[in-house]
Amino acid sequence: MKQKSSLSVMLNGIIKENPVLVLILGTCPTLATTNTVNGAFGMGIAALAVLVCSNVFISLLRKVIPESMRIPCYIVIIAGFVTIVKMLVQAFMPSLYESLGVYLDLITVNCIILGRAEMFANKNTVVASALDGLGMGIGFTLALTLMSTIREVFGAASFAGNPIPFMENYKIEFLTKAPGGLLVYGLLIALIYVITRGKAPVKTSFSCEGCPHAASCTTVNCQREGAEN
Amino acid sequence: MKNNIKNLVVFVLICTVMTLLLATTNFFTAPIIKENQNASANKALLEVMPDGEGFEQIDISTFTLPATVSEVYKATNGQGYVIKLVTTGYGSDMVIMCGVKVDGTVTGAVCLSSNETLSKEKTYGENFALKDAAGVEAVDTIAGATKTTAAYKNAVKDALSSVIILGGGSVDLRSEEEILNDNLSTALPDGEKKFQKVFMVELLEGIDAVYEAENKSGYVFVSGQQFIGVKADGSVVTAGVEDTKLYSDAVEKIKSTTLKDVNFSKYEELKNTIVSVKKTASGNFVIEAKGAGYGIKGGDEYHPASNEYIIVRVAVTKDFKIIDCITVSEAETDGVGDACADESFYGQFVGKTDKNYTEIDAIGGATMTTDGYKQAIERAFNAVKILGGAR
Repeated sequence: MKQKSSLSVMLNGIIKENPVLVLILGTCPTLATTNTVNGAFGMGIAALAVLVCSNVFISLLRKVIPESMRIPCYIVIIAGFVTIVKMLVQAFMPSLYESLGVYLDLITVNCIILGRAEMFANKNTVVASALDGLGMGIGFTLALTLMSTIREVFGAASFAGNPIPFMENYKIEFLTKAPGGLLVYGLLIALIYVITRGKAPVKTSFSCEGCPHAASCTTVNCQREGAEN
Repeated sequence: MKNNIKNLVVFVLICTVMTLLLATTNFFTAPIIKENQNASANKALLEVMPDGEGFEQIDISTFTLPATVSEVYKATNGQGYVIKLVTTGYGSDMVIMCGVKVDGTVTGAVCLSSNETLSKEKTYGENFALKDAAGVEAVDTIAGATKTTAAYKNAVKDALSSVIILGGGSVDLRSEEEILNDNLSTALPDGEKKFQKVFMVELLEGIDAVYEAENKSGYVFVSGQQFIGVKADGSVVTAGVEDTKLYSDAVEKIKSTTLKDVNFSKYEELKNTIVSVKKTASGNFVIEAKGAGYGIKGGDEYHPASNEYIIVRVAVTKDFKIIDCITVSEAETDGVGDACADESFYGQFVGKTDKNYTEIDAIGGATMTTDGYKQAIERAFNAVKILGGAR
């Protein structure tokens, strides 16, 4: 029973609550790094590593971290793990480090990571948090890889840097640019919505209610109280 | 208060743990990262000096190197130096890496970054591989990209000069203009280092060029390699000059020369080709003539035509010998045709006659401009012929 529950925690992030295509989180690195498969996959794995480590660490300290100090503590932990991942990538995958550039540092402010810390890791066990991080990270990586495959194959007639000769005359270069990225992103969100209709959670709204921090936000609580009165 | 202290302690502890994790990771990754960075930097250096095993950057602040030199790397196995140069091409900075052996042979040159229109600099460096100073000098600039390739070639020459200086030798780093000005100033110190070339309208025996001090204190006569300073009153300043009268007379001749306007409006064929005609008392002509260069005959999407003629001022004796020549105005293509506006080009006409003026060297890639100058000279000769020249 417990085994099934753990599996469902992990699968949750991959399909049902995919951070990129369902929760619409991490949009900035999604659009920025998906023009090549290598860059997108590298970004996904780097974010996955940070997600798992920060989730585990935050879950471990969930009873120690004071409520009023949790956001600064999360930021220190996440920034620390991002820097560790950055040093490892720079040492062992210098070409990936060059291609990701500033987006590697920006994982620190990736809302998927802070969102999972706030929504999951500080309320659940270490194992469950690790599985949640793993599931969300895999979901993020898969979404990025899928999107980058479409953009690189149809936009640059190549896959992971390897040319696809028969596509050379049919490539749509627009897809490798920022507007092309937005278009592919929108189409994928629509596709996932159609496929998972009735199964995927519909976001409450794109207003404050939909924010991962809504539960603890004073603005949202005030609005609720006002509505109830 | 108690809560605040607890918060602070927890926060400091978390920061300490993260710092320890970071320090540990850094301990293991820092040497690998440094090795990667060195390998990456060495890759660019090895490209221009394949025999160099390792490189170390040397401090160049204690050397007087050409202004284009920005960094110097020494091969640790003593093969030579790799020099990073920043020069200006047609439009913007060009960064060039040039490897030079200690014996003065170029091992390779590549352009690391540039923004030139024709991209000729991308492969031009290949021409310098395994060349010594004489070989580098013999490399031709590329027609149509003269400014880019000339800047590249000068940068490679600067690299060669730098290696001589770094090896303890000395190189005159002054530009031709600075050398000329220094020679003029030495010949006539009263000129206060400001001189301008005199447009000669009379033939002066044994004198190649004359410069006048801007403060009117005197003249400097150039005769072969000699620079002879003469004060405005005709007294020769330069020591060791035997025939001082020659220069005193020359000063007198220059000062007494007057030019009279010649009316040529009645000659239909001169109306559209000649701008002005003046005549000296001795019968020499000073003519400003138009020539149709690229600005009139050329024009394409990259280099549009300016629709302006080249105007050349030329002093001609009545027996058709050119005394002096100068560009009055031109609007030829920047970086290509405008190279003809340099004295090194139009100065070739001096001493030529109507029989051999076409024999001068054309500027590569600026054939139309060269022809425009020749046409202006031809029209000036034609004017002399019509207005009373005689053999």
